[in-house]
Amino acid sequence: MGEQLLDIQDLKVRFKTDDGYVSTVNGVTFHMEEGETLAIVGESGSGKSVTSLALMGILPPNGEVYDGNMTFEDKNLREISKKEYRKLRGNEMSMIFQEPMTALNPVFTIGFQLRESLMLHFNLSKDEAQKKGIEMLDLVGIPDSEKTMSRFPHQLSGGMRQRVMIAMALSCNPKLLIADEPTTALDVTIQSQILKLMRDLKIDSNTSILIITHDLGVVAEVADRVVVMYAGEVVEEAPVYELFENPKHPYTKGLMSSMPKVHEVVDDLYSIEGTVPNPSKMPAGCKFHPRCPLADEECTLVHPDLEYINESHAKRCIKV
Amino acid sequence: MKYFAQSLLKTIPVLFLITLIVFILVRVTGDPVSLMISETATDEERKALRESLGYNDPIYIQYFDYMGDLVKGDFGDSHRYETDALNLVIERLPATIELAIASMVIAIIMSVPLGILSAIKRNSFLDLFVTGGAVLGKAMPNFWLGIMLILFLAVNIEVFPVSGRGTFLHLVLPSIALGTGIAAEMTRLIRSSMLEILGQDFIRTARSKGLREAMVVNRHAFRNALIPVVTIMALQTSTLIGGTLITETVFAWPGIGQLLIQAVNLRDMAVVQAAVFIIAIFVILSNLTADLVYRLLDPRIKYD
Repeated sequence: MGEQLLDIQDLKVRFKTDDGYVSTVNGVTFHMEEGETLAIVGESGSGKSVTSLALMGILPPNGEVYDGNMTFEDKNLREISKKEYRKLRGNEMSMIFQEPMTALNPVFTIGFQLRESLMLHFNLSKDEAQKKGIEMLDLVGIPDSEKTMSRFPHQLSGGMRQRVMIAMALSCNPKLLIADEPTTALDVTIQSQILKLMRDLKIDSNTSILIITHDLGVVAEVADRVVVMYAGEVVEEAPVYELFENPKHPYTKGLMSSMPKVHEVVDDLYSIEGTVPNPSKMPAGCKFHPRCPLADEECTLVHPDLEYINESHAKRCIKV
Repeated sequence: MKYFAQSLLKTIPVLFLITLIVFILVRVTGDPVSLMISETATDEERKALRESLGYNDPIYIQYFDYMGDLVKGDFGDSHRYETDALNLVIERLPATIELAIASMVIAIIMSVPLGILSAIKRNSFLDLFVTGGAVLGKAMPNFWLGIMLILFLAVNIEVFPVSGRGTFLHLVLPSIALGTGIAAEMTRLIRSSMLEILGQDFIRTARSKGLREAMVVNRHAFRNALIPVVTIMALQTSTLIGGTLITETVFAWPGIGQLLIQAVNLRDMAVVQAAVFIIAIFVILSNLTADLVYRLLDPRIKYD
């Protein structure tokens, strides 16, 4: 672990809808160090993907960051110009998306799409970019890399496309790689290959990885530290071993118990009752209280702060 | 290439069908002899003319005679101009092609930037203005637009000539009259196509690479949005040709359209048949071209 790379303080993101503004990220705080792998965990709708898009500065047109701070190295991401932001994107920070089937442009070759960011950020000529592109494809384990450069996305399998995405994202040696559910759409065997690939590449290049997932298996496999999100807030933060050994927040515990275990035979797999609340109808007090087994009256009134129980472990709950 | 050759072969039965339909239509809609002979002619004289032109033979015999000549490239002679009908049509072809290309250029120049802009500035004042304008452009009949253009820009303010062909200025009003409707259709299509593409995942990927927004829109989105647009543009060719019939008449533009309308009115069968045949060939060719361009634009489609 090294210098601090990223610091997010009290980030708030809202979307303009027909019924006014809806806030989906409500004060998210976390930081990342150089070379670290941080996992953000949570159900669908917890605001984890929106956080990553806000960080990249590519929120959809109706979305905006309306409060908080994002500092990348020494740059305040909320204050730099659009041009400076563009220079960071794809270069110092890059992103892999969930759906490899649709994340590549169907009408351009793999080569074109790989060369594009290299030519843009490193000012390479087409030939130089081609050479570097082939190198990147070799690095992510694509056989026949030279031929693949002239193929179109639809001619590759899902796993291969995700490798291409990783090659694209890593081609400019980013300091931060954001991986939004990188393995969700893939077969289990391909999943583990992709995770291993990301782990190996991280060791080689000292890139920090922010991995967003709902899969605790993935977290256990790659993360150093974990941030658990619920309803647009961080509810728990801890190093990976500590979180699995000693989860504090009832939501984290629920997530852990809903993971199937190989050595236990159960009739019904545990599940957390209910669903993530709709951002426009957030419950008062603790946002998790309607689904929480420990909740009492106090929880419906008091919105708990994120509080550190030791140097690295924080939780947002008054009951534990 | 094999695909293209196959498609060309498939057009032969289409052309055959077209000759049959046109042949029947021109014969069931009126008597050419009554227009060719003076009103005071006797019944005997009419009969003799009809006989000499072969109109008393059964219709299938007439059709076989006609087809026999047609495969030799002979469409028969025009009653009115007393020359070869096909030559007459081909002489008029450059004027129509000139008008069609000019209208298409105007349609593209208007619709591409407007369609893209109104998609990226969705629900803005500009978008409202463009989509409203597109509805208006589509709703205006082109003969009416033609007459209004003549009235305001050729009669009230004498900027452009009223009618005829010759200089570049002659081309302006008819191609605006004809291009506006097509531009309106294409603008709406480009807008909706762009809106759909801009919401796709690969657009987010392109942005995450740090590309300038102009590159994201013009390169990554527009290339994809073009695919449906090209198809519709090819279908617009028939609208374009239908439009030339009317526009050429309004502006006295000496093209196939004007010739065809006159020939229909005069029951000049050979000319009608030759003109429709040539028009049909153009429609088929433009559809074939669209098919090829479509395949070039979308690598997911194979040639087999």
